[in-house]
Amino acid sequence: MAAAEFDIPEIKDYIEVPKLREGAMAHAKTFLAPKPVQDFMGYPHELADDWKESALEKMGDLLGKYRSLKVFLDACVHCGACTDKCHYYLGTSDPKNMPVARQDLMRQVYRRYFTTAGKLFPKLVGAKDLTKDVLNDWYNYYHQCSECRRCSVFCPYGIDTAEITMAGREILNHIGMGQKYSNEILGKVQKIGNNLGLPGPALLDTLEGLEEDIEADTGVAVKLPIDVKGAEVLLVTPSADFFSEPHVESLIGYAKVFHAAGTSWTLSTHASEAGNFGLFNGNYETMRKVAMRIRDAALELGVKRIVVGECGHAWRVAYSFWNTLTGIGYGADDPFSIELQKQLDPNYPQPQHICELTNDLIKSGKIKVDPSKNDDLIVTYHDSCNVARASRMGTEPGGQFIIPRELIKSVVNNFHNMADDTIYESTFCCGGGGGLLTDDLMEVRVKGALPRATALNNVVKEHQVNFMATICAICKAQFTKVLPKYGFDMSMVGGVHQLVAKAIILD
Amino acid sequence: MSTLTIIYAGLFYIATLLLVVGLAYKIFDYSRTPAPLKIPTTPAPVTQTGVVYRMAKEVVLFESLFKSSKWTWIFGWLFHFGLLLVLARHLRYFTEPVWFWVNIVQPFGKYASIMMVVGLAGLLARRFLVDRVRYISTPSDYLMLVLLIVIGSSGMLMTFVAHTDIVALKTFFMGLMYFDVQPVPQDPILLIHLALVALLMLIFPISKLLHAPGLFFSPTRNQVDNPREHRHVAAWAARLDQKN
Amino acid sequence: MPMVNIAGKDYEAVEEKVELTEGHWEVVNFLREYYAEYQIAPAVRVLTKAIGKKLGPDKGNNKYLYELFPYGPAKQACKIAGLPKPTGCI
Ligand code: HEM
Ligand code: SF4
Ligand code: SF4
Repeated sequence: MAAAEFDIPEIKDYIEVPKLREGAMAHAKTFLAPKPVQDFMGYPHELADDWKESALEKMGDLLGKYRSLKVFLDACVHCGACTDKCHYYLGTSDPKNMPVARQDLMRQVYRRYFTTAGKLFPKLVGAKDLTKDVLNDWYNYYHQCSECRRCSVFCPYGIDTAEITMAGREILNHIGMGQKYSNEILGKVQKIGNNLGLPGPALLDTLEGLEEDIEADTGVAVKLPIDVKGAEVLLVTPSADFFSEPHVESLIGYAKVFHAAGTSWTLSTHASEAGNFGLFNGNYETMRKVAMRIRDAALELGVKRIVVGECGHAWRVAYSFWNTLTGIGYGADDPFSIELQKQLDPNYPQPQHICELTNDLIKSGKIKVDPSKNDDLIVTYHDSCNVARASRMGTEPGGQFIIPRELIKSVVNNFHNMADDTIYESTFCCGGGGGLLTDDLMEVRVKGALPRATALNNVVKEHQVNFMATICAICKAQFTKVLPKYGFDMSMVGGVHQLVAKAIILD
Repeated sequence: MSTLTIIYAGLFYIATLLLVVGLAYKIFDYSRTPAPLKIPTTPAPVTQTGVVYRMAKEVVLFESLFKSSKWTWIFGWLFHFGLLLVLARHLRYFTEPVWFWVNIVQPFGKYASIMMVVGLAGLLARRFLVDRVRYISTPSDYLMLVLLIVIGSSGMLMTFVAHTDIVALKTFFMGLMYFDVQPVPQDPILLIHLALVALLMLIFPISKLLHAPGLFFSPTRNQVDNPREHRHVAAWAARLDQKN
Repeated sequence: MPMVNIAGKDYEAVEEKVELTEGHWEVVNFLREYYAEYQIAPAVRVLTKAIGKKLGPDKGNNKYLYELFPYGPAKQACKIAGLPKPTGCI
């Protein structure tokens, strides 16, 4: 099937706030999940006669379970501060891609059925009945949000549109409108062990091939062990790292780091995925089920540490939610969590990010690097949204910005940041996060990348930057696909450990 | 007792009751609804003290709004701090003897009303002038601002132009507080001012004015960033662990 | 279009505007063999390496593969071979 044609936006000197163009993206509709996919997830695959009642019932259920949803739907004053903060609005100029308008798609229904004012004076407060049209808007625009939380930074009440989007998708799934891409992947991770659907034998073959490559390249027998009981570290990484370019280069980087540090480590076939699309769907139990595979693998292999590879939303789930979902972390007083926590080595943060690990090793001199190996590169760094706004590294707030940069600067000699309002907590999403990394949303993805492409273009012009490092599998896949549409070379995107892999000194 | 007095006394009793009960219910409802996951917008404080500091900056300085939109911030801040001073000044109608700090704010409160109305006018203009804000505005958004502007300007009229009998007014309110209803002053501007204030109190718990309590319950702002160090589980989620 | 049988399942070999030469068939056949063994298309890296081993180092590189399949070996060659395209964070 040929993808629909659309215009590639033009990169300007700075990020422009466009005039509204109503309905500009109303046609962008991601594929619906077919019956087998929905069946596996336990959702219906088409609307039943009582879809409206069950949607409202689900909404009521979520309002009782999530304070975020309830408070956010009530608190917004329509001040408009968030309206120009979403990369999808900036790239598409569709007003329904303004965070507050995206929330209002649900808020109008919330007001109509759950608030006094909306029951009595719907017109006055913008309350609307839940109709098929509203439902279609939900489906289309809740799949044009990458749940990147940029809006929540700028809202005076911290209203996080991602929470609304997640609730929206959960309700949609519940009544039979699931998204094919995400739900298919959630099926694969639960049946096969990873998002890609890479079966154990294929994974083993891939790792063997990589060991050969590294040895041919460096002369050193760096291993990529898998399912090794009693290893110290379990490394959980996105499955794209086993498969895609440039992702694989970072996997090679992790392997070299463990080799150089002399740390015993292992991958796991059962937990061959760090990503957790349960987050994108907003379903707590799915997210928990997917995360439990890692707990199970850790218990089975008896590892003392759990380290997470380069993946943005995976790090959010790992850092912020694993302790809650699976007891990977500290400070629990229930038997379920204690069972695992007494096995983990308290000298390390659990889970630990691979950047925290490598940066510590370099700083303490346990591994040696030669940054001049990367002298062909002038590097910038893209803060991935979930790492930047939904997690931390190290012990201080903001460590998630400092540690990857420290690490990069220790392995390269030329580094330049992009503009301040496009990095750190203000970073722009790559445009492919939150379950949108699918060909059927290519227009949304390309347009949503405009703010980042603009910022990148400026450092390319000003500092001749020729490499943008990032620590997210989705960012890497999205940028290699989408940046060429803006005239950049796809090979200018890669992982931080890709840089480490080049600079590290092995013996 | 005149009908007018009965109407106004009744109005304020009902408005106060609904405001208090409505807000109490909302606050109770927010606090009983669990936040099952750690979702502070990071970088976030890693201690509880840090959270108090973060929240204070949001409440007093509108820190996040400052980052996002300078115009909205200026007008919004003028309005809210104008309002705060004006409200403080109004305490003199409800206290006997008047608290000493209320006396200190009197002269400021007088001019704060200008701040407040200017701020409101700016916010209203923004709703008309900025296409993005116009798109998201509902009739109630405009009316809320108009309501506050009319309350503010009728108040200013009485302060600066056509003085009202504030001694009689105070007698009326003190009477309400001690359940000994006294006649309401028959000044048309005052009557409009009072009726609209009662209306504002009535809609407070069922409108976007819930942003005031809402901010304190916003998980992205009030959570400590310590998920690796402490296990955070909601009651409904903890039940899932038992099934394992 | 002929149906191709891979790992016991029938797939429709999709029509593409490429004149299939000997070189194309070598790649397509490798893809099908790999799929039959592992139930997934090979990574590009695996593909280039395998082609290099089989047909000599001058062919075991991205450039050669891109010349054969201008829309990308992973995407286009898999499509011609009739393999389902892997999805994920790729
Ligand atoms: C904890 C106390 C409060 C805080 C932190 C707070 C904060 C804010 C902020 C940050 C905004 C958005 C910016 C703006 O439009 O001004 C806002 C809007 C607003 N606030 Fe408050 N507020 C508080 C209490 C109140 C109260 C008591 C009222 C009572 C009348 C009020 C009325 C409004 C109105 C009407 C708006 C919307 C303005 C518009 O339409 O543009 N606020 N508030
Ligand atoms: S979470 Fe990100 S993508 Fe979604 S509305 Fe907010 S800024 Fe846009
Ligand atoms: S910034 Fe927050 S309060 Fe203002 S319109 Fe956006 S979501 Fe609503």
